[in-house]
Amino acid sequence: MIRLENVTKIYGTETVAVRDASFDIPKSQFVFLVGPSGSGKSTLLRLINRQEQPERGDVWVAGQNINELPASRVPHLRRSMGNVFQDYKLLLNKTVFENVAFALEVIGKPRHVIARQVPIVLDLVGLADKQDRFPNQLSGGEQQRVSIARAFVNRPLIMLADEPTGNLDPNTSEGIMGLLDEINQTGTTVVMATHDHRVVNAMRRRVIQLDRGVIVRDQERGVYE
Amino acid sequence: MFSRIAYAFRETWESFRRNITLTAAAVLTSAVSLLLVGATFLIQRAFENLLVQWRGDVEMIVFVRSDASAEQIALIDSVLRASPTIIDVEKLRYLNKTESYEEAKRIFAGDPVTLGLLTPETIPTQFKVVPLSDDPTLVRSLSDQYRTLPGVEAVALAEDEFEVISTLSNFIRVVTLITSLVLLLVAVGLIWNTIRTAMFARRREIEVMKLVGATNWFIRVPFMLEGLLQGLIGGVVSCGGLWLLNSAWTNGVTGFKPGTGISSLVVPDSYLTSVMFILLAIGAFVGAVGSAIAATRFLDV
Repeated sequence: MIRLENVTKIYGTETVAVRDASFDIPKSQFVFLVGPSGSGKSTLLRLINRQEQPERGDVWVAGQNINELPASRVPHLRRSMGNVFQDYKLLLNKTVFENVAFALEVIGKPRHVIARQVPIVLDLVGLADKQDRFPNQLSGGEQQRVSIARAFVNRPLIMLADEPTGNLDPNTSEGIMGLLDEINQTGTTVVMATHDHRVVNAMRRRVIQLDRGVIVRDQERGVYE
Repeated sequence: MFSRIAYAFRETWESFRRNITLTAAAVLTSAVSLLLVGATFLIQRAFENLLVQWRGDVEMIVFVRSDASAEQIALIDSVLRASPTIIDVEKLRYLNKTESYEEAKRIFAGDPVTLGLLTPETIPTQFKVVPLSDDPTLVRSLSDQYRTLPGVEAVALAEDEFEVISTLSNFIRVVTLITSLVLLLVAVGLIWNTIRTAMFARRREIEVMKLVGATNWFIRVPFMLEGLLQGLIGGVVSCGGLWLLNSAWTNGVTGFKPGTGISSLVVPDSYLTSVMFILLAIGAFVGAVGSAIAATRFLDV
C-alpha cells in the first residue's frame, strides 16, 4: 500500500530530515513510526500525503509513484487518506457535525450523502450525542475523536496519525488507540508517528524507529525500547 | 453541482461580512477610479462634440450658402482642387445638407435654441479642407481668396476657433486617463490585499480543505468571486456617481448663453449608458484580476 525506496528529504540546503529511507507497508497493516522529536517521523508522513516531495527516491501509494503525480491529481490522492494531528486542527466556529461534514462538503459530496455518512461515523467514534457541540465545549480526547471521524468519514485506504495522543492523558490515549485499532480492523492501513512508549508497548505492532532521519530498526510486533 | 455553487456563494458572503472595513476600502477605491475613467470618457466625448467639425486634420471649412446653385458649388469645388500643392485634394470632403445637419445636431447638443433655428433646408453646406502645407499664412491667404467666390457664405479657420480647446482637451484627456489608470492599479492592489487578508483569516480552513483533498479551484473560487463582487460593486457605485455628475453638468451647461460653444459640451444618454456598462465590466475585471493573483499566490498556507 505504501512503499518508500531510498527516500531522502533535505530542508533548505543542509538539514537532512530523512536519509535513504526504504520500507514497504502492506494493506491493512498498523505501523508505528517512533523516535525522538526531530528524528523525521512527521516528515515521513508529509512525504506520504505529498505535503513534501523528496530530493531523492520514490514514494509509492496504492501502486502509484506519487512524486510523478501532477499537482492537479494531488487532491484525489489525498481523498484516499485520512489525517489526524496532535492539535486536532478542528474548525472552532463549526459544530462537531459541521466539522466532519466539512470534509465531505469540500470534495463536492452531495448533501444526502453527507446526511447519511456523518451520523454513522460519529456513532463509530462515540460522539453521536454531541454532534451539535462546538470543539471548545469538548475534552481533548473528544476533540481528537472528532478529528478521527473527519479523517475517516470518506472511508480512506490509509490513515496517517501524527502524535494523536500527544496532548492526552494515558486513559484517554487508550481510548483513542482503541478507536484507531478499530479503524485498522476495517482494512484501513494505519501509520502513526509517536514517541509515546505506553501505546507502542501496549499494542505490539510493527515498529519503524528513526534516529536523526535514518531508519535504525524495523521490527514486527515491536516495542518502543 | 448545486451544493458546490451554494457553497461558493455562502462562503463569499461570509467573508464579505467578516472583512467589512477592508472590503469597503477596496470598493470605494475602485468606485473612485472607475468614476474617473467614466469622466474621462464623457469629457472626451463632450469635447468631440465641440471639435467634431475639425476632425481628421481639417484646418479650414468653406461654408456654402444654403441657396447656392449646383453650378456655384461645382465652381467652388474646382477652385479648391486648383491648388493641389497646398490642399490635400484626396482628403477634400463636401458635406451636403443632411450631413451638415447631422453634424450641427452634435455641435448644438446642449443649445436647443440655436439648433431650433436650423433646418436641413436652411443649413449651409460645407467643404472640409485639409491643407498639405504647414505654413499658416499660405492657408490664410487662400481663405481670403475663397471668401470672394460666389455662393460662399463664410470661411472658417481652425487656427482662429478651436486650436486652444483642442490642445486643452488633449491635455485633460491625458491627465484624467493617467490618474484613473493609477487609481485602477491601486484598486487592484487593495482588492488583492483584501483577498489576501481573507485567506489569511481562513488559513486553518484552507489547510483542512487541502488535507482532505479539496481541489485548488474549489478553494479559490469563493475568494475570486469575492474580489469580482467588490470590483462590480465599485462599478455600480461609480455609475451612480457618474450619473449624478453628468446630470449636474448638463443642467449647468444648458443654462449657458446659446452659441458660446460651452453648450456643446453635453453627452447623449445613450453614450452615458454604454460608458456605464464599460465601467461595470472594468470593475468586474479589476476585481477578478486582483483576487485571482491573490488566490493563486497565497494558496500555500
